[in-house]
Amino acid sequence: MESIIEVKSLTKRYKEKRAVDDLSFDVYKGEILGLLGPNGSGKSTTMNCILSLLNFDRGNIKIYGKEMTPNAYDIKRKIGVVFQDVAVFDELTVYDNIDYFCGLYITDKKMKKKYVDDAMKLVGIEEYKKYFPKQLSGGLLRRLNIACGIAHKPEIIFLDEPTVAVDPQSRNNILEGIETLRKNGATIVYTTHYMEEVEILCDRVIILDKGKIIASGTTDELKELAKTKEKIRVETKELGNKEIHEIKKLSCVEEVLYKDNILEVMYTDENNNLENIIGYLKSNNIKYSRIFSERPTLNDVFLELTGKELRD
Amino acid sequence: MLNVVDIAVIQNEELDNNNSFKQAMDYLSNEKNSNRLFSTRYVSEEEASALLEKGEISGYVKLTAENPKIVVDKNGVDQTIIKYAVEEIYQSQDSYEELYKNIESIFNKEDGQSFFDRIKSLVIMLTKNNINIKDTSKSNLSYTMIEYYTLIAMTCMYGGIIGAVAISWILANMTNIGKRTSVSPSSKLTMILSSCMASYVVQIIGIAILFAFTIFGLKVDYGDKLPQIILLSSIGCLAGLSLGLAVSTTVKSGEGAKVGIILAITMTGSFLSGMMGVTMKYIIDKNAPIINKLNPVNMITDGFYSLYYYDTLDRFNFNVASLAIFSVIMLVISVMTLRRQKYDNI
Repeated sequence: MESIIEVKSLTKRYKEKRAVDDLSFDVYKGEILGLLGPNGSGKSTTMNCILSLLNFDRGNIKIYGKEMTPNAYDIKRKIGVVFQDVAVFDELTVYDNIDYFCGLYITDKKMKKKYVDDAMKLVGIEEYKKYFPKQLSGGLLRRLNIACGIAHKPEIIFLDEPTVAVDPQSRNNILEGIETLRKNGATIVYTTHYMEEVEILCDRVIILDKGKIIASGTTDELKELAKTKEKIRVETKELGNKEIHEIKKLSCVEEVLYKDNILEVMYTDENNNLENIIGYLKSNNIKYSRIFSERPTLNDVFLELTGKELRD
Repeated sequence: MLNVVDIAVIQNEELDNNNSFKQAMDYLSNEKNSNRLFSTRYVSEEEASALLEKGEISGYVKLTAENPKIVVDKNGVDQTIIKYAVEEIYQSQDSYEELYKNIESIFNKEDGQSFFDRIKSLVIMLTKNNINIKDTSKSNLSYTMIEYYTLIAMTCMYGGIIGAVAISWILANMTNIGKRTSVSPSSKLTMILSSCMASYVVQIIGIAILFAFTIFGLKVDYGDKLPQIILLSSIGCLAGLSLGLAVSTTVKSGEGAKVGIILAITMTGSFLSGMMGVTMKYIIDKNAPIINKLNPVNMITDGFYSLYYYDTLDRFNFNVASLAIFSVIMLVISVMTLRRQKYDNI
């Protein structure tokens, strides 16, 4: 696969604190790379360093094989950025905002108009084109923010937590829009601390903590890192210590928890676990109501690797 | 011993209500006064105009509700003395109100140069340098117009705030829009120049509205020097704008602090150049001239004053050139600071 962005040994310090610590990774053409980590893990700092907005202490960043600098205008022309904070002019309408920022990249008026219309359509804000930002809801404002960042149809798109504090409808709309961008051939670097979004969107994920890469790979590869391969939850009121002890001895059981009439059984293997536990409950005439089977999430992986939750 | 200057004072209601001015003029016209300056007649405006036309008086003074109007028909030492003396009396009349019973002591006070000594020095200087005041009857200048000039200068410098806000939209460490602009392929120089031009147009429109208001609303007559005033205002706007850019790019703090610094510079500059009293400008000119030489507000107000006081445009041109150089220096500082800029934190 063709590497579009190469980051080597990137280190960025804020005084004594290492915000980014010896980070190395590649971004390949056409993929969505997720940078996943809790707040303060170095996602945005990494992005700002790649975009040449921030000085860094050590390392090397290349985009399309060329070193990224503040004056690398030929590279910047191919990049679109959606920052975490909304960056629009309050004095301009939705249309004029997108038109202005698109105009920084596209000079042909006809093409620009088409691109602005396409961007509004992509994020679903055509009917608000004459509204001013202050008249928009938080979700619509986020969508406008995205439209301003991607209207010029960039080849590489950096999305920094674009769904923070948005309503579910806007969130779905934004995620659909990102999928469309990928289908149109864009390479996307997506930073977030929402693991669900990463699982839906990303081809590859880099998990960051305290500025370091603690794991990377596809979501399936990352989940393989978790010791727990399956978690089964059973609602039952009839368990005693004897039964819990017997469940612990079942095949592939790693851990058993019983609290508030909920039995949780963690398995180190993912085969036939449901059959085994149901079989045990039936054979011992233990009544149960609902049973859930869960695969490990990225949060579980993060929890096992760092001892804390992604949203801590 | 000074020559006695023939003048007239218009007898009207304002004069009747201004006892201190009349006392002062009577004192300066008293035949028994060894330093007699004027031979004063109190007449109607028609009579005064006729006397001036016949050459029997060098000029006449008409008190109005705002400021004294001095009318002369030619340039010369006598006319300069009339203007200087009347302005001196009018500016200091609060003191005379309190002490008019002992008015002689005011004109001959011992702490510093007496009024008459200053008049003598003025006459010597005028004679030596061949400097003439202009025929004020044509341009109708007054203290109110001097206030307008300082206010116009201040308005020009306020363009710095527009410049500072415009530049904040280019700097990644100041606004989110600045971050977005910084990642775009537009060059910093292009962005700065286009922002400068847009800000300058906005500032010029503001100044144009101000002039339109003073001309059509307040009926201010700028005489025949309006083109020079517009030129000076335009260069003044550029100086204000470039100061704003320089502050915005070099000072590492928030937008509010930068605007505060620009306001402080403008207000201090305006004060030192005489916005709150023309005397301050003269004090600085006399005691610390370098301050006013470097003060852009003073460059603007001094340009206006020079149009008022001098026949030649030498001093006006010097001020215009000074403002242009100041603007170029500020712009160069801004561009040098912004080029290839990356940040330690944003």
